[in-house]
Amino acid sequence: MIEVSNLTKDYGTVVAVHELSFSVKKGEIVGFLGPNGAGKSTTLRILAGFLGATSGQVRIAGHDIAEAPLAARRALGYMPESAPLYPELRVLEYLLFRARLKEVPRKKQQAAIGGAMERAGVTHMAGTVIGHLSKGYRQRVALADALVSDPPLLILDEPTAGLDPNQIREVRALIKDLGSERTVLLSTHILSEVEATCERALVIDRGRLVAEGSLEALRARQSSSALSVRVRDPQLAAEAAISGISGLSLRSVSSDEAGEGRRTLHLAVSEASDAEAAIEMLVRALTEARIGIHALIPEQASLEQVFSALTAHEKAESGTSEPGSAR
Amino acid sequence: MNGFIAIYRREMLSLWVTPLAWVLLTVFLLLQGAIFYSIITHFASMADVSVDTGPVQAYFGQESIFLLMTLLLVCPALSMRVFAEERRSGTIEALLTAPIRPTSVVLGKYAALLTTYALIWLPTLLYLVILRKTGVVDWGVVGSSYLGLLGIGAAYLSLGTLMSAMTKSQLVALLLTIFIEFGLFILGVGEYIFDPGVFRDVCAHVSMMGQMEDFSKGILDLRRVVFDGTVVALGLFVTTRVVDSWRWG
Repeated sequence: MIEVSNLTKDYGTVVAVHELSFSVKKGEIVGFLGPNGAGKSTTLRILAGFLGATSGQVRIAGHDIAEAPLAARRALGYMPESAPLYPELRVLEYLLFRARLKEVPRKKQQAAIGGAMERAGVTHMAGTVIGHLSKGYRQRVALADALVSDPPLLILDEPTAGLDPNQIREVRALIKDLGSERTVLLSTHILSEVEATCERALVIDRGRLVAEGSLEALRARQSSSALSVRVRDPQLAAEAAISGISGLSLRSVSSDEAGEGRRTLHLAVSEASDAEAAIEMLVRALTEARIGIHALIPEQASLEQVFSALTAHEKAESGTSEPGSAR
Repeated sequence: MNGFIAIYRREMLSLWVTPLAWVLLTVFLLLQGAIFYSIITHFASMADVSVDTGPVQAYFGQESIFLLMTLLLVCPALSMRVFAEERRSGTIEALLTAPIRPTSVVLGKYAALLTTYALIWLPTLLYLVILRKTGVVDWGVVGSSYLGLLGIGAAYLSLGTLMSAMTKSQLVALLLTIFIEFGLFILGVGEYIFDPGVFRDVCAHVSMMGQMEDFSKGILDLRRVVFDGTVVALGLFVTTRVVDSWRWG
């Protein structure tokens, strides 16, 4: 559905996207992931035909966007970041304008607009002036706009930005629903969004693709697995007991509020060692040191950790971390 | 063509559901009313003097400097938001990702401005209806006068559309348009200042006052029409190129 090869976009001296190549197959829901300023919006704007690429090739539904821009644009519904709309129009007027613009046949316009409003949940707002709508409803109107021509491909730029948790849940459910019959490419800097809605993720950082694959494959990239142990350890002897076990390293210790030496140890199992053997040795060592074990909790590497590992260098260099990307 | 009509209708709707067109209409009619009133009272006070000119000719012709001054205010204010607002608010992104050519966008918006301009002039036909009650109105002259006004408005609005595409600020677009159109207007005044020669001829040809004086006498000079058409075509062509260039910004 989308084929991007060696896409580069530079704004004078700033390279926003560098030699980006990826493809999205029909019927996929793909998350386009990256910290703020990674080039997500620029890439999506190029795909949607709003910006021209400096070099490289993009094909949408088989149409080259440079050679057949109108055919490519007919195949997609695009929702820009922050959902810009005409504040003076009513929802119905706006969608009618968009349907006409997107060449929806006159006889089908009524049904197309009705269907799009229904899917986006704005039917009861049809007569409201857009300027009076809340941010969440405006976002939905923009979504209805993307749906109105019933395109096979949806490109959504940060569809849940600025929404409250309930609205986010609704929009995600809607995207999942839409993805059952369409191809969806959505950008976000929120990882849980990708986990909640997408089958596959593309991680982009500073205009370059740093990882690509299914969520499982991305998780597997985290080299070591982790483990937490909740213990009762009045003598504070756990560190000493653990230190001898090979392949196991202590990352941090937190004290529980309950007191009496109740603590939680966060451990990492290194990739090279046998994790199961290390856990057996851990339990034996703790028991021998007369430390009570309350819980043994395996931790699967979260996408958060993968993401921060993949894009960590930027934070190290700039010294600022994006609050959104660490959520 | 579908895109053109969709843009035109949206633009008309936005112009007339917001106060802008109504404010301009009111200001315009107040000014025109004042001008027309003073011309009528002037002619009424010298009713016994037999002259070869009447209030209609005076309004559209000899005294057209007043009328053109109001156009220098109204036209730039009408066109200032046409692209600047879309770029400031970001709606241009939704617009240009629809399957539509930049030419349709520019022409659709321009056609809406020109229609609005014509609608703003429409109530002034009442002046002629009033005059008709007391005298004779030469409808041929009226027709050519309005044609001249349409030509000037079309040229001003084309330049205004271009200026609006050049900047994201409506205020800057307004000031640039006034600056350029006032410059064009002043160039026309050169007809009365410079000695006979090539430069004076150029001034006479581009003069908006000259155009109105000709058209108000019923003289349809093709050179005037060609000049207005050239300004319109050039302005809209460059605007289309500017819209195209945003992809490469």
